[in-house]
Amino acid sequence: MFSEQAAPTAQGLLAPPSAEPPTFPRVAVSGYSDCSQPFRLGERSFSRQYAHIYAVRLAGMRPGLEQRARSRWGSDIALRKLSELQAGEKCCVVGTLFKAMQLQPSILQEISEEHNLVPQPPLPKYIQPSDELILEDELQRIKLEGAIDVQRLVTGTILAVYGSEQDDGRFLVEDHCFADLPPPLPWNGPSCDRFVLLASGLGLGSVSGEALLSTQLLVDVVTGQLGAEGEQSCAAHIARVILAGNLLSQNTQSRDTINKAKYLTKKTQAASVEAVKMLDEILLQLCSSVPVDVMPGEFDPTNYTLPQQPLHRCMLPLASAYATLRLVTNPYQANLDGVRFLGTSGQNISDIFKYSSMDDYLEILEWTLLAGHISPTAPDTLGCYPFYKSDPFILTECPHVYFCGNAPHFQSKLLQGKEGQRVLLVTVPDFSTTQTACLINLRDLTCQPITFSGFGADSED
Amino acid sequence: VTYKWLSYTLGVHVNQAKQMLYDYVERKRKENSGAQLHVTYLVAGNLLQNGHVCHKVAVVREDKLEAMKSKLSTIASVHVYSIQKALLKDSSPLYNTDYDIVKTNLQHCSKFSAIRCAAAVPRPPPDAPRAPASAQSPQGQRDPDAAGTVNGHGPPAAKPPPQQHRGIMGMFAAKAAAKPQDAPKEAKAEAKEAPGVSAASSKPPIKNNIMNNFFGKAAMNKLKANSVPEQPKEEKQVVKPSVAVAEPESSPNTVAEKPGKKTESARIQQKDKKSKTKRADRSDDEEERDPENVKKKRKRIKQLQSDSSDEEDVPPSPTPEEERAPSPPPVPALKTELEPASTEVSSGGRKRKRKRVLKSKMFIDEEEGCMGKTG
Repeated sequence: MFSEQAAPTAQGLLAPPSAEPPTFPRVAVSGYSDCSQPFRLGERSFSRQYAHIYAVRLAGMRPGLEQRARSRWGSDIALRKLSELQAGEKCCVVGTLFKAMQLQPSILQEISEEHNLVPQPPLPKYIQPSDELILEDELQRIKLEGAIDVQRLVTGTILAVYGSEQDDGRFLVEDHCFADLPPPLPWNGPSCDRFVLLASGLGLGSVSGEALLSTQLLVDVVTGQLGAEGEQSCAAHIARVILAGNLLSQNTQSRDTINKAKYLTKKTQAASVEAVKMLDEILLQLCSSVPVDVMPGEFDPTNYTLPQQPLHRCMLPLASAYATLRLVTNPYQANLDGVRFLGTSGQNISDIFKYSSMDDYLEILEWTLLAGHISPTAPDTLGCYPFYKSDPFILTECPHVYFCGNAPHFQSKLLQGKEGQRVLLVTVPDFSTTQTACLINLRDLTCQPITFSGFGADSED
Repeated sequence: VTYKWLSYTLGVHVNQAKQMLYDYVERKRKENSGAQLHVTYLVAGNLLQNGHVCHKVAVVREDKLEAMKSKLSTIASVHVYSIQKALLKDSSPLYNTDYDIVKTNLQHCSKFSAIRCAAAVPRPPPDAPRAPASAQSPQGQRDPDAAGTVNGHGPPAAKPPPQQHRGIMGMFAAKAAAKPQDAPKEAKAEAKEAPGVSAASSKPPIKNNIMNNFFGKAAMNKLKANSVPEQPKEEKQVVKPSVAVAEPESSPNTVAEKPGKKTESARIQQKDKKSKTKRADRSDDEEERDPENVKKKRKRIKQLQSDSSDEEDVPPSPTPEEERAPSPPPVPALKTELEPASTEVSSGGRKRKRKRVLKSKMFIDEEEGCMGKTG
C-alpha cells in the first residue's frame, strides 16, 4: 500500500540537504463516533447470579434463530421447547449449548478435600474425546448426539438443532444451525485512501528489550519521522491508531510482593508502574500526531472480567493532556469514517481456542461472527460481568471490520455474506513477539501487515 | 548519532537531518580521512512473506543494505538512520539514543516530524473553566506537566495551594533529585492528603519530632526551647500538609507564628521553598539566622502593626517567584506578600485575633530573643 505510492521518491533522502522539506498535514478524522456504550458499565453490582445472562442471551437470540431455522429447514417445521418434546418427532429446538468437559478446570474440584487433588496446571487445550454436548433451554436440558461436532463447539453458544428425541432420552441431531451473520450495515466508507493502524501486544515492561526498537520504529513511522518523503506522505493518511490490548507484558503481572515479607518488598515497585510510565511516553509521542484508541487487554491494569473498562486517565498523565487520546473498553465498537469497527483484545478468541478443537484464530473469529456472539464462553470459562437485562455481546449488526488482538500471527480475510455483508476479519498479531502491526485501508477494506526490525548481534535479515 | 538526535539537537526537520547525515557521510568518504564511519540505513518496502505482501521497515547495517534491498520487491524508502564510529553489534544503542533524546523533548516530540496533526492539541489544565469545547480550541503550549499535576483533582483548588504543594514537593524533589514527572505524582498525593490533613489537629507533637529529626543535635536544645511555647498555639492551627511544614527551622517557625495561625502555615511553606535553595548550608543558616531573626522579628512586628492596609494593596505574587528569592531581606517582603494570599482566605476576625495574640507574643519573643542570645 505504502510502497507503490512511495516508490518514486524512495531514494530522495540520500542527497545533500535540500530546501525546506515538506510537512504533510494528517488527514482529518471526519466521522468518528464511539459505539461501545453497551460495553461500559456504570454501577456494578455482583450480587446477581450468572444464570440471568444465559436467560437473557437465549431470549435475545431466540427470534433470530427461529427465523433462520425456518428458512433453512422449511417454514412448517415444528419449533418446540424441550419440555414439549415427544419421542420420535422431528422438530427443531433452540437452546444454549453446554459442553461437559472432564478436563475443565473447576474450582469446586480444586477445593474438594476428598479428592485431594493438586490444582490442574493450565493446559493449552482442554478438549477430550469424552466430552459431551448438552442442550439447555429455559427449563430443561437434554444430551445431544448425532451430526454435530462435539469437539468444535463450546459452551454458551446458542443454536438451533433439528432432529428427534430418542427413546433413551437423548436427542439425535440431524442438522444444526447458528444465528449466522447479523444484518448488514450500510456502507459509507471514504472515497480516498484512509488507513487505520491496528497493533496489539506491545508488551511493555517485559524483561527483554528486543521489541523496544521495533516499537519506536512503529511510532516513528506513524508520526512521520521515519521514511522518505513518499512514505511520510502515506503515513499522513493514517487516520487512527487502535492499540488492541496487552500494552503491558505478562511479566508485569507477577505478584510476588504478596507472598514475600513486607520488609523485603517495601522499596520495590510493581513492575507495572515502570511499564505504564513507558507506555505514557510512547502514547504521548503518538497522541501528538494521530488520534489513538487504547483498549485494555489481559495484562493491563483494569478489571479482569469482560467487558473490560477503559484504563484510567490518571495513569497516563502526559498523554491524557491530548484530546487525541481515547481510552476505550474491550470489546470496542466504533464508527470510523462510516466504517464500523468491532474488536476485542483477544481474550474471547483464546478462550474458545482452549475449549474447542479449532486451531486457527481466524477460523475462530469467523465462527464467532457466524454464531452471532462475540464471546459465548463468557460466564463459563471467561470472566464476565453478571448482566441481567441484556447481553451486550450478542451481535446485532454486522461490523465492517472485525478484529481480535494478540493472535499468534497475522491473518486476514474478507468475508462475504448472503445478505450483502462484507466483513474484513483481521487477527492482529502480538507485537512483542512478531513486531508486526496491521494497516487497514478503509476505502477498499484491505489489510496489510507492516513489520519492523532492527539488527541483532547475529541476525541476518 | 541518529537522525532523530540530530533533528532535535539542531532543531531541524527530520528529513533535513537525514539528508545532512547523508551529506556528511559522502563528504567524509570522499576526503578519505581514514576515520572509519559506520552507517546504518533504514529500508522500507514490500516483501513477500507467508503468502501475502508485507510492508517491512528495517534498520540495517551498511553491509547488509544491498542484501535487504534485493529482498524487497518494491522499495518505499531508503535513508540514513545513523552514523557511528564503531561497528554496532546490535541496535540497542540506537534505541537508547533515540529514547534519551525523545525523553528530554517529550513536550514537542512532533515538532520536527513530517506530519502535523491539527487535532492534537493539549487539553487546557483544569484551572481554566472546564468546558468540553475548550479541548478543541487551540491553546497555547501550556505545560502538560501542570495539566497533569492538577488533573483529576475535582475541588477547584485556589492557585496558592497547588503551588504551595508543588513547592513542598519541590523540596522533596530537590532531596531525591527526582524527575519532574515525579513531582506531579507526589503533588497529587500530597494534594489528596491536604484536605484530609487540614482537619487534623494532633500534628504539633509529630511536627516537633520531625523538626528535631531534621536538625543537628547542636541546634536541638535551642530549638526545643523555642518550640515548646509554640505547641499550645499550634494546636489551634489549621495544619497544612504535614511533613513538609515541619521542615523549616524553628526560629523561622516562632517568627512565623506571630502574624497568625493560618498565615503561619502558609508562611512556613514559603520558608520551605526559600529554605529549599539553602538546604545545603542549613547548618550555617541557623547560626546566621538567629541574629537575623531577632532583627526580623522586630522588623516584622512593626510591619504587621501597620499591616492591614499594606496587605490589601500588595497583590499576591506568584509563589514560584518567591521560591527563587534567596536572600533573607526579601523574607519580610515574602511574608507580607503571603499575607494577602492567606488573608483572602481567612476572615476578618482572624486579623483581629492575630493582633491580639501579637501583642502577647511580642513579650514572649523578646524573652526568647534574650534566651536565644544567652543560651
